[in-house]
Amino acid sequence: MAKNKVVNKMMKLLSEENLEKYQVTLNSSKKTEMVVERGEISLLRTIADTNLRITAINKNKKASVNINRIDDSSLEEATKNILELLETSEIDEAYDISPFQESKQFEIGSKVPNKDDMYKLLIQFIEEVKLEYPKLNISESSLTFNFTEVNLVNSNGVDYLQTKGIYNFYVVFTAKDGENISSMNFASFSMNELDKNLLDTATVRSRIKENIEQIETKPITEKFVGDVLITPDYLANLIATFAAIGLSDAALIAGTSVLKDSIGKKIASEKLSICSNPRSKQICDGYSITSDGFEAKDIMIIEKGVLKSHLLGLYGAKKTAKKRAENSGSAYVVDSGEVSYEDMIKKVKKGILLSRFSGGNPSPSGDFSGIAKNSYYIEDGKVQYPISETMIAGNIYDMFNNIKEISKEQVNFGNSIMPWLLTTGVTISGK
Amino acid sequence: MTQLSKFAKHFVNYTELRVQENQSMSITFLNGNLVGNEKKFTSGVSSRVFLNGSWGFASNPEMDDANIIDTIKLANENAEFLSGRQSKNKRIYEGAAFSVSHNFGTKKNRISQKELMDFVKEIDGYIVKKFADVTSRTVGLNFLSMEKTLLTSVGSNRYSLWPRTMIFVKLGVEENGDPINAYEVFGGRGHFEDLFTNPSDLFEDVDKLYEHLKNKSKGVYADAGEKEVILDADLAGILAHEAIGHTTEADIVLGGSIAADYVNKEVSSNLITLTDYAHSYNGNLCPTPIFVDDEGTKAEDVVIIKDGVLKEFMHNKETAATFKTIAKGNARAYQYFDEPLVRMRNTAIEPGKSKLKDMIASIEDGYYFMKTGNGQADSTSEFMFAVTVGYEIKNGKLARGIRDTTIAGLAFDVLKSVTMVSDDMVWGSWGMCGKKQMIPVGMGGPAIKCRINVGGK
Repeated sequence: MAKNKVVNKMMKLLSEENLEKYQVTLNSSKKTEMVVERGEISLLRTIADTNLRITAINKNKKASVNINRIDDSSLEEATKNILELLETSEIDEAYDISPFQESKQFEIGSKVPNKDDMYKLLIQFIEEVKLEYPKLNISESSLTFNFTEVNLVNSNGVDYLQTKGIYNFYVVFTAKDGENISSMNFASFSMNELDKNLLDTATVRSRIKENIEQIETKPITEKFVGDVLITPDYLANLIATFAAIGLSDAALIAGTSVLKDSIGKKIASEKLSICSNPRSKQICDGYSITSDGFEAKDIMIIEKGVLKSHLLGLYGAKKTAKKRAENSGSAYVVDSGEVSYEDMIKKVKKGILLSRFSGGNPSPSGDFSGIAKNSYYIEDGKVQYPISETMIAGNIYDMFNNIKEISKEQVNFGNSIMPWLLTTGVTISGK
Repeated sequence: MTQLSKFAKHFVNYTELRVQENQSMSITFLNGNLVGNEKKFTSGVSSRVFLNGSWGFASNPEMDDANIIDTIKLANENAEFLSGRQSKNKRIYEGAAFSVSHNFGTKKNRISQKELMDFVKEIDGYIVKKFADVTSRTVGLNFLSMEKTLLTSVGSNRYSLWPRTMIFVKLGVEENGDPINAYEVFGGRGHFEDLFTNPSDLFEDVDKLYEHLKNKSKGVYADAGEKEVILDADLAGILAHEAIGHTTEADIVLGGSIAADYVNKEVSSNLITLTDYAHSYNGNLCPTPIFVDDEGTKAEDVVIIKDGVLKEFMHNKETAATFKTIAKGNARAYQYFDEPLVRMRNTAIEPGKSKLKDMIASIEDGYYFMKTGNGQADSTSEFMFAVTVGYEIKNGKLARGIRDTTIAGLAFDVLKSVTMVSDDMVWGSWGMCGKKQMIPVGMGGPAIKCRINVGGK
């Protein structure tokens, strides 16, 4: 039985209603956050929160209620709400909860923050930036310790407990020289311990350095189809977008995914391999259980260009009669290639280094367009100048098929591990 | 909600004490499958304390007296932790005390969950019956309410209940194997009972959405490059909010926004007046009316651009003191555990004198952009908005529909290119702004004619 008395009480209430299947997840969190505004630590925040999620299935009808007050009367009220939602729900044989699995406990990171060390590390970061990059303006930054305890229990006997304590750092900045300012950019990463210099972890220093260069930009003055060298920071976003339009429950149930019948087929360059590794020791900000009640496992999504797995949850898998993914996605790792970043630039005849992208949600077909932000023009194997007001348009699936190189260097952001990726066939247009 | 006055004796420094409950409910049918049927209740207490230039904040979901007192104490301790390590000669604008109570909830009898479900199902059924070539559809209902009680050490006392209900419809068709989507949102401020009566009231709008979708699926990709365009209210509203509004939030200004040097300078065509309305426009309530904000400041309109000249920024108490001005009620927090940030409320360009049909007739070769999907902007005012519904304009007339595209540019430059502003005003009530925290916002405006960069193939 679950160790948490609130979870036990809620399970008992649901059991008394003779419901066929139910799952209770109690997520207790405590966040300690130091916030930097305009180059000073301005706020210390301590947030305690609770979320009790109750899902019930009865006569093939399903309902969910989320509450954050967990006194007895709130639990009783939640039971009433569940019964009301169930009554009016729709019959769907695909609704289910996870089957029995052995009870397990998982621990990630530490349980309490070291506030003094958080303060010291943040002050050190602010001072180093002021000294080394005086033109940089830290618009906003925070160092946060997030502790969460998740107890997931269901009526099939599943009983998982996951505790996780992780430090997250992010910084948003612009640079200014006279009346000229750079486009805002940001950097972030997660870590288990406060054992890293914030400026020298992940891509923080390189993004700050580039932002100073980006005070002076110019638009590309022509329209051409060229190469795009994608940075690790943007590659992480691109893969999340690819997963949403091609692999997710919503895209596959709606039938809008162009990858719906592509398992085992080649959908990308054979240079591309993508895993989702929430249990890997390399990913400090991972997870051990899925929200639908399974122990998460590391999975291969694309192996040498061949699609190995969608990211279907239990409901999506039953609904589409396809295989359930063994995790909930994210924690993506893109395998490194064989060419150095420097040599990749030398291979670009005409294109851009894409550091950030501001664009609309891509269509289900993968078409996208938007602005290349904080990016550079590359010609004849050399980075030429930072660009502004430059739009790009292309297709995500084509980009994955047109990969020329993947770098041997990778960046570990704590929640993903990404290399640089060079692709082509993207329309680049200036003013 | 909890009476807070009894806790005032625990205020040692400048203190805000807020008790809040957010409720949400969603029903979502995806291709007729009920994929969302959920309610969420999030409540708790938070306190924020200002001490010698540093802020301390604490929150707790448990709201008994002992926890409320502990929360105030922890906020004080957090402020002391920082102020003991750093000395700042910083003040805040305290302002005067205000007491208000506003309940925007329905006075009608609440309808049952079954009636809500049936309402959504009837719209879904209408789509299935009427449009045989629709290959994917999502129909749903989203409800959000925020109920807040605030007490500050200055003496402000505020209760507010603000509900919002939206019905959304997303339709998809396939054209030569390509999936094409379009969507529309109905509703706004208020409980369901005050906004919707019969599902059939929405059928005409669903028909219009389908017509736009078909035109889009048979349409063309926009030509890339700078074009003469008309941005309808939806896009003029997001331009006002994302690209101008954010650059004039005082915390963003202090963080390096390009607007920092623009006060009292001409920043747009003199046809443009752009205001962040506190609660009312022309005597009518705006989508997110704020009378007293989450710092206890009385809310007033902020006129950001007047006849083309940048006039003022939006402030919280801290930035108002930095700029030696007054705050006008822009400090807002989303959840009980969020600290108030400088946020917009209801941001819009004021209507002009032109007629939309004349504006379209005045363009030889350009575009009429009607609906947006999402948008982003940064401190340089460079913005990008997705266009999900739009048409070519050829020789003064609407022509073929266009596929999804994006528009981009530097907002102040785009506003300088404005040559016509329509005489109507349309508010969008479903805005959700994400700046560290989410927050509901209103945005709207007339249609504007301008030059803009269009992305395309």
